[in-house]
Amino acid sequence: MKYIKQVLGGDLRQYTMVVALAALIIIFNIISGGRMLTSSNFQNLLSGNAYVLVLALGMLMVIVIGQIDLAVGSVAGFAGMVMALSYRDLHLPWYLTVIVALLIGLAAGALHGFFLSQLGIPGFITTLGGMMIFRGGVIWISKSISVAAPPELKWFGAGYLPEWGPKFTGMNNSTLLLGIIAIVIYIVVQLRKYKASAIGSSSKENLVAVIIRIILVSALISYFTWLFGSGREGTSFPIPGLILLILIIVYHTITQKTTFGRHIYAVGGNKSAAALSGVNVKKVYFLTMMNMSFLAAVAGILFVGRSTAAGPADGTSWEMDAIASVFIGGAAVSGGVGTILATMVGGLVMAVLNNGLMLMGVGADKTQVIKGCVLLLAVAFDVYNKKNGRTSASAK
Amino acid sequence: MGKNPFILQMKGITKEFPGVKALDDVSLDVRRGTIHAICGENGAGKSTLMKVLSGVYPHGTYHGQIFYMDKEMKFSNIKESENAGIAIIHQELTMIPELSITENIFMGNEIVKRGLIDWNAEREHTVEILKRVGLSVNPDTLIKHMGVGQQQLVEIAKALSKNVKLLILDEPTSALNESDSANLLSLMKELRSNDITCIMISHKLNEIAEVSDAVTVIRDGHTVESYEIEDGYVDENKIIRAMVGRSIDNRYPEHESHPGEVIFEVEGWNVEDPEIEGKMVCKNSTFNVRAGEIVGFAGLMGAGRTELMRSVFGKNYGIYKSGTIKIKGKEVTINSVEQAISNGIAYVPEDRKSLGLNLLDSIEETIVSANLKAILSHGLISIAKQKKAAEEYRQSLKIKATNTQVGVNTLSGGNQQKVVLSKWMFAEPDILILDEPTRGIDVGAKYEIYKLIHELADQGKAVILVSSELPELLGMADRIYTIFEGTITGELQRGEANQESLMKKMTITSGN
Amino acid sequence: MLKKKLLATVLAAGMLISSLTGCGGREGAADNTAAADNTAAATEDTADAAADTAAPAGEGFEKGAVVGVSLPWLGTQNWKEAETMFKEQLEAAGYQAIVQAADQKVPQQQQQIESMIENGAKVIVVGPVDGSQLGAVLEQAKDAGIYVIGYDRLLENTTGVDGVVQFGSVKTGELQAQALLEGLAKEKGEGPYNIELFGGGPADPNAPNFFKGAMSVLQPKIDDGTVVVVSGQTDFTQCATPDWDNSKAQARMDALLSGNYSDKEIHGVLSPNDGIARAIITSCENAGQDIPVVSGLDAENESVEWVWAGRQYSTIAKPTTDLVAKTIEIIDSLQAGNGMPSTDVTADNGVIDVPIYELPPVVVTKENAKEVFANDPDRMELLK
Repeated sequence: MKYIKQVLGGDLRQYTMVVALAALIIIFNIISGGRMLTSSNFQNLLSGNAYVLVLALGMLMVIVIGQIDLAVGSVAGFAGMVMALSYRDLHLPWYLTVIVALLIGLAAGALHGFFLSQLGIPGFITTLGGMMIFRGGVIWISKSISVAAPPELKWFGAGYLPEWGPKFTGMNNSTLLLGIIAIVIYIVVQLRKYKASAIGSSSKENLVAVIIRIILVSALISYFTWLFGSGREGTSFPIPGLILLILIIVYHTITQKTTFGRHIYAVGGNKSAAALSGVNVKKVYFLTMMNMSFLAAVAGILFVGRSTAAGPADGTSWEMDAIASVFIGGAAVSGGVGTILATMVGGLVMAVLNNGLMLMGVGADKTQVIKGCVLLLAVAFDVYNKKNGRTSASAK
Repeated sequence: MGKNPFILQMKGITKEFPGVKALDDVSLDVRRGTIHAICGENGAGKSTLMKVLSGVYPHGTYHGQIFYMDKEMKFSNIKESENAGIAIIHQELTMIPELSITENIFMGNEIVKRGLIDWNAEREHTVEILKRVGLSVNPDTLIKHMGVGQQQLVEIAKALSKNVKLLILDEPTSALNESDSANLLSLMKELRSNDITCIMISHKLNEIAEVSDAVTVIRDGHTVESYEIEDGYVDENKIIRAMVGRSIDNRYPEHESHPGEVIFEVEGWNVEDPEIEGKMVCKNSTFNVRAGEIVGFAGLMGAGRTELMRSVFGKNYGIYKSGTIKIKGKEVTINSVEQAISNGIAYVPEDRKSLGLNLLDSIEETIVSANLKAILSHGLISIAKQKKAAEEYRQSLKIKATNTQVGVNTLSGGNQQKVVLSKWMFAEPDILILDEPTRGIDVGAKYEIYKLIHELADQGKAVILVSSELPELLGMADRIYTIFEGTITGELQRGEANQESLMKKMTITSGN
Repeated sequence: MLKKKLLATVLAAGMLISSLTGCGGREGAADNTAAADNTAAATEDTADAAADTAAPAGEGFEKGAVVGVSLPWLGTQNWKEAETMFKEQLEAAGYQAIVQAADQKVPQQQQQIESMIENGAKVIVVGPVDGSQLGAVLEQAKDAGIYVIGYDRLLENTTGVDGVVQFGSVKTGELQAQALLEGLAKEKGEGPYNIELFGGGPADPNAPNFFKGAMSVLQPKIDDGTVVVVSGQTDFTQCATPDWDNSKAQARMDALLSGNYSDKEIHGVLSPNDGIARAIITSCENAGQDIPVVSGLDAENESVEWVWAGRQYSTIAKPTTDLVAKTIEIIDSLQAGNGMPSTDVTADNGVIDVPIYELPPVVVTKENAKEVFANDPDRMELLK
């Protein structure tokens, strides 16, 4: 047991959700007769949920500062609709429409950020207002009719990496390359961590354990590389998945490795103490809210790309999926706790659940009920752990 | 005076937590109608013992027996101990600030008539009970509008309303000023004469000397000393020796200051209260500090000491009206905490838990948090640098923790304070403002912190020490300013200051 | 300890090797180039075929194949009926049916269709939440060689559709307007008549068509003064009911009545479906108006009762039975290898011309209700 702990590198409980995720995948794969772990299903799983996971990235930061953003779905819908309209009515080239959508996101976020940071109105209320404004806005500007999006955007929402190079690899070579890069990065990061662990009084990691860990994770990455890369000709690791992956790396770095990231946790953990440590609390509030709406616009673009059209109901209740992912990932309602990676696991638990139940032919109604139960169970489990003096499943 | 019978006897109490024996065969005998003091360092097991007594840790989770009023008690929750007449007044007050005195006193215990609350009856009762604790205020007053001292009295009144026989006060005066403390102590004496037994947990030896009839000292989960006080004479040194397990001949370490140039000057500082327009919390304050000098600030609770310091520290409190700050002779504009820090000022707040620490952080995260720039490499935070920095402080300050990744919430008060001090030392300030740095810290840890303050001064830092404890200021400071109602009323050199002279200037406006 | 270490290492190595090599190469890539070319060619063929409606004889598929049916939701009677009928009739015909509803959520429906592809469906029937937002997914189905049939609503903005089965939506609108005029003449005496107009959910491509059909009948009457739209709201976007939400329609009717009819009587209302019709009637009753002549659609049970009781003037039966029967007829044709049946009607979905299989709707009033529902024992029950 102790040895497993060393291999995993820390607290076993941190991996509860990861284990739950793996169990879900395996169980569904068995029940559905192997239809879960197929190339196309995992490609779909990523393309179809990338937008929610992108929202969850921003939502994690919002929840860590102790706020909530109810407007993300509406902002996503609004940005997507403006994008489609600027293409249809203003005939802008597709890349300009994307920039317009992102600017809309930034502007919406600036609005929320201003009310929260400068006027001190709680995020819940600020974004409730924003939700109404932007939801109404979508319906207003679209006249309640779906608008076709620039066809080029389909690549963002449902596209695949190019095919190139030799055929004997038996898979999409772009995906293969991606997998190799991922393994290399993982090994470098682990070895660095190992070196750092030697500093000070904290116990130095066991080198053999580290190597086994590297082998296991590399095997896992290899498996998924193969899974994504060996689908139908012309398919690969999906583009929305790649965009998500890049965003995960960027936001993981921001939250764990930059002063701004530290400030987010400081403000969420103890606002007054943060202020007295020289953290500009208003700036942190503002930027976090602005970032959230920016990511909402990104999510909107991904979704519209996949749907080939922007609809008046786009984004309805997406905020709830994003919030659920963050809390299943172990974040605390009171702020200060939660990580990007755990949130992604939380989001994937929801996504796999959804996907697996659909493969089994379970209807949307029952799926909803089951997702609700999972949310409650996950959070209850986390609270139970904290009550017993243990660290949260995903505490930093 | 014949000895009263025992009201409470705790025998052979042992309480274990995973990996720790918090209490090991502890006994406590309390006589009826007395005030019994329990002292011990932080973490010695006093609070655990009280939790065992009150049923927070139910019967069965500890070993040993509790006899109360000659019967063995097996409380399984707080409700049961309350019903038996045992009440605890916690260090942190547990009342709801947005509700009135009446509502708080009858919380969970409402007088109900035909399904509705009988407000008139509740109010009448409240007035009566408040009289018993010497409070004459409108029972409809909201708790948040009362001072801490009064709130504590209400808390006691609440306990009295439940017909309490044994009242436990956990560091009752730690948040009170001198007059409120005195008031509380005399109330305890009065309760004693009404046959209510009090157990008082306290660090303050002078208070123990003033009121207690018996003292029990606990150290590391053991009872090390327990005796009844004869003729009102308390040997403070005996208690201290028992608490720390060694004798502390001098509570303040020897030190010789070598003040240099004046490096910090505040002139004509005026600040308005953020809530009440027109009310000034700092009135034309002017003071200076030399390099290598420890300057004390004395004043009663609410005199404006903290307000002055926080306002100087990047205008963190109140509405700035006028005044200038000079650092090393140069006038500087400081509009934010960030600027204050970059100008070399550090402020260690008085309220460690709510202002000084993010309790979710680990030791190392806390230590670097006011100077993240120092641990960046290529623009990103380097965990290795963070660890290295924290490790240095852990060793040099003897922070009691196995490693620097331990959460600060698990540390004792003294160690937490060391972490906070490390955090500000890591920011490498020239001017260090310490606001009540030893509050809620036991004697041993205090001594270490005093030594640390001396070291900082020896490194040429200007140290401002704000404290409510006059002996501490007299023992530590080279120079002492007194504050009364937002005005600096006096400046005394080390040699000319004593408790009386300070107290005088702390209570009158035109002391100069 | 050492043993465990070894074991772990061996296990890990085993996993790595199996994941890299053991699982073989690309799906269906045995002779990959040829296979890929074939699929590409097939895809083009079907796309072309769809465009000029000359359905080629496809290859067909085995009798017990999977057929997916994705419905928008089950919140109204017609969709609930469709769910039951598809399930029963497809299974009776020997297919393996997956019938799912998407709770009015586009992403949910996208994922459901994907899971149907994953489950190896040969035909997918789609009643879209929003006909224009399934483009990428339907093309994916197409690429996988699956036939896509639109059900009740047009599938827009995609090449991934082989045909749509629906009741003529413009025709439906015309019938609604005609019924309204007929009812006004019969029940409200001489004109001019005061009326208001309601449209359906704008995200449903049928809704503007209903409205267009209705206006083609009503506009001449408005122009010659026979009917007066008192509020002046005659544009579809003004009259639309977001999400076909009855409560929104009722709120709009309340506002119209209090704003325009304090001193007037309302004689008739064009309603795009039964739920909205009932909301309108309720609103009028609450405002103290006599019940106006109101059109409807779907022949929902409650409205059938109301028509029978004379509260709602008319509804239109678009018997779900007919739609489902027609859809299954097409599926059978595909299964037998006969391809999509031919049809003369096509509709431009923004990308291609989609073959449309139109069915005629039937107006139901109190007079003809018994005839219309003669073969429907459930509804006959309501007419007692």
